[in-house]
Amino acid sequence: MTLGLCLGLAFALFSIGAYGAMTRRHIVGMLIAVEIMLNAANINFVAFSHFRAGDNTAGPIFTAFVIAVAACEMAVALAIVISMYRRHKNLDIDKLRDLHG
Amino acid sequence: MVDIGFYIVAFAILAGAVWAVTAKNILHSAMALIGSFFGTAILYLMLSAEFIAIAQVLVYIGGVVIFVIFTILLTTRLGDKAEIAPGMRKLLALALSGTLFGTFVHALSRTGILMSTKTQIADSNYASIERIGMRFLDPGANGFLVPFEIISLLLLISVIGAIVIARKEEV
Repeated sequence: MTLGLCLGLAFALFSIGAYGAMTRRHIVGMLIAVEIMLNAANINFVAFSHFRAGDNTAGPIFTAFVIAVAACEMAVALAIVISMYRRHKNLDIDKLRDLHG
Repeated sequence: MVDIGFYIVAFAILAGAVWAVTAKNILHSAMALIGSFFGTAILYLMLSAEFIAIAQVLVYIGGVVIFVIFTILLTTRLGDKAEIAPGMRKLLALALSGTLFGTFVHALSRTGILMSTKTQIADSNYASIERIGMRFLDPGANGFLVPFEIISLLLLISVIGAIVIARKEEV
């Protein structure tokens, strides 16, 4: 297990998440893809602080912050999803134009 | 020994992620996400970051994924198919994400990190609960006391915001 292997895993995970965010048309599916990308970033933080000299504790602390912010983001995003479903009875992003995306 | 374990865990993480972004049923995709996150928690344990592994299981699997599943159950009728883009856009997305991965690996190979065989450098309890806790509550220049307090405020704001957004409009 080396730094290169961990980074390669994180890059592959990020690319899979990017693919999902591009192909999904269901809002919740897109949010799941975004979570996968955040997870890849977290793996990078921990891998660098494990394999590199320097301020090692700061990496896991950043990961903890990312986890907390991701939880906040998910709470607000899913509240928006529920509110949009109530209004349109549909979650296909090609048909939802309320947010002008 | 550890290397075989790493390959197994990496395969589990990637397989879970691929399933999560390609599954036809959105509920299956949330289930696959649990597998991917659990594999990541095991990877954190192998990188000796125990606290992060536990936080991953508690917050991501116990919180975020359960929340996602509840939302899916509230907003999807049984038998609904997840909307996946048509073939043309899928192909384009595959090419784009493949290019992204290639660029990442190319940039990495130029730094020489890919070839380095160094194992662990940090001392083994670099991410112990005690170290992380001391850094979180350290008010000095190296500590994270102010971000720690701000994140609690952010959590409170997002909880209130989520309730305000999701409540029924005619009160």
